[in-house]
Amino acid sequence: MRKTVIAIAGATGLVAALAGCAQVQEPAPICNMAGINASRTLVALPAAAPDAPSPLMEMPLNSVSVVDHAIIQKVFPRQVTARRTPTGTVEVVTQIVNCTDHPLNVEARTQFYDGAHTASEPVSAWKRFAMPARSSNTYRESSIGAKNVNFYMVELRETR
Amino acid sequence: MQNRAASIIVGYETVRPIVRNARAGRAAIEIEPGELTFMRRLMTVAAAALALSACQTVQNEAGTPTTYQDPGSLGAVRGVGIESQDIVGMTDQMMRDMLTEPRLANASPPPNVIIDGEYFVNESASRLNRNSITDRLRVGLQRASQGRMNFVGRHYADMVQAERNLKRKGVVDKGANPAAVAQKGGDYRLGGRITSLDARDAKTGLVQRYTQIVFEMADLESGEIVWSGIYEFSKAAADDVIYR
Repeated sequence: MRKTVIAIAGATGLVAALAGCAQVQEPAPICNMAGINASRTLVALPAAAPDAPSPLMEMPLNSVSVVDHAIIQKVFPRQVTARRTPTGTVEVVTQIVNCTDHPLNVEARTQFYDGAHTASEPVSAWKRFAMPARSSNTYRESSIGAKNVNFYMVELRETR
Repeated sequence: MQNRAASIIVGYETVRPIVRNARAGRAAIEIEPGELTFMRRLMTVAAAALALSACQTVQNEAGTPTTYQDPGSLGAVRGVGIESQDIVGMTDQMMRDMLTEPRLANASPPPNVIIDGEYFVNESASRLNRNSITDRLRVGLQRASQGRMNFVGRHYADMVQAERNLKRKGVVDKGANPAAVAQKGGDYRLGGRITSLDARDAKTGLVQRYTQIVFEMADLESGEIVWSGIYEFSKAAADDVIYR
C-alpha cells in the first residue's frame, strides 16, 4: 500500500514537472498588430485651395511610414527619435522590429522637411538592412542641411 | 570517250559518281554501295532542310522595349557585383556621414578637400569604373556642403596649369578673376579600397560575393585619417550576369 502511494505521488510530481515544461515561452517580441494598426492615424495635409478639404491623407511627420503592403503586418517601428549632430545636421534613429518568424530584408529612406513642411533637401537613398526573425535592427540617417531641417519622415519597404 | 563526273560538295567530302561504259546515246552510271548510302543520307538531309525552310516565317513582334529604371532600386538585371543601387546608396550614405564630422563640415576656415579616384583602388572581383563612385560622391558632397568645404579639382590640374601658362605668357589675357599665386593645395584627400570575397557552390552553380568598400579621408600634412566610412553587402545569385 505504501509503495502504491509513493508511486502515485511520484507520478503526480512527474506530471506536474512536465506540465511546467509544457508552458511555451514565446521568444520576444510579441507584436500586437491590432494596436499597431490603431496607431497609424493618418493626417490631412494642407489643402492646395483655400476652404477646400485636403484630398491627401498621410502619416504624420516625425514618424515611420511603412509604404509596402507586403510588410505592413510584419514589422513594427518601435521607436523613432532625432537629434542634432555636432555639425548641426539632424540624425534620425529608428528601431524596427521584425514580428515574424522569418528573416526579412527591408530598406528605408528619409525625407527631411523645413519649418514650412517643405522638403528641405533631396530624399536620402534607400538604405538596406537585414532583420533576423523576431529581432530588431536600427536605421539611422543624417540630413544634409543643418539649420533648415525641422521635420522628417521615414519610409520603409521590403527588399531582396 | 571520257566523261567528266559531276561533283557534289557536302561539307568537307566530295561525292564523285563513277561513270563507266559510256556509249553513244546511253550513259551507264555505276554507284558503289557505300556511295549509295551516302546519297540517301544526303537526300534525307536535303528534304529536312526543305521542310524546315517552309517553317521559317517572320516573327513580326516588337522587341523588349527600353525602360527607364530607378538607379536607386534593384534593376531588371541583377548579379552579385556592384550595381547602380549600391553606388547611389553608398555615396549618399558617405556624403551624409561626412557632413556630421566637425573637422570636415564645421571647420573654420573651410578645409580644401580632394575627392577623386586616384587613391581609390578596386581590388575586388567586380569590374567597374571606380570614378563612378568618387565622381558621384564629389558632386553630391559639393552640392550639399554649401561652403562648409572647398573642393579642389586635382584631376583638372593639367588643364588649369595650361591656362595659367597661357595667361602668364601673354597669349591670352588675365581673365576677370584675380591671379592666384599657385593652384590650391589640399588639406584632406579621399582614399579607399574595394575588396571582395567570392564563393561558388559547385553542385548548384550558386555564386555569392561579399563586397566591402572602405572610404577614408586623410590629412595631407600629417597622414591622419580624420574620417572613415564602410559600405558592405553580400549577394548570392545563379544568373549569368556579365558586367561590362
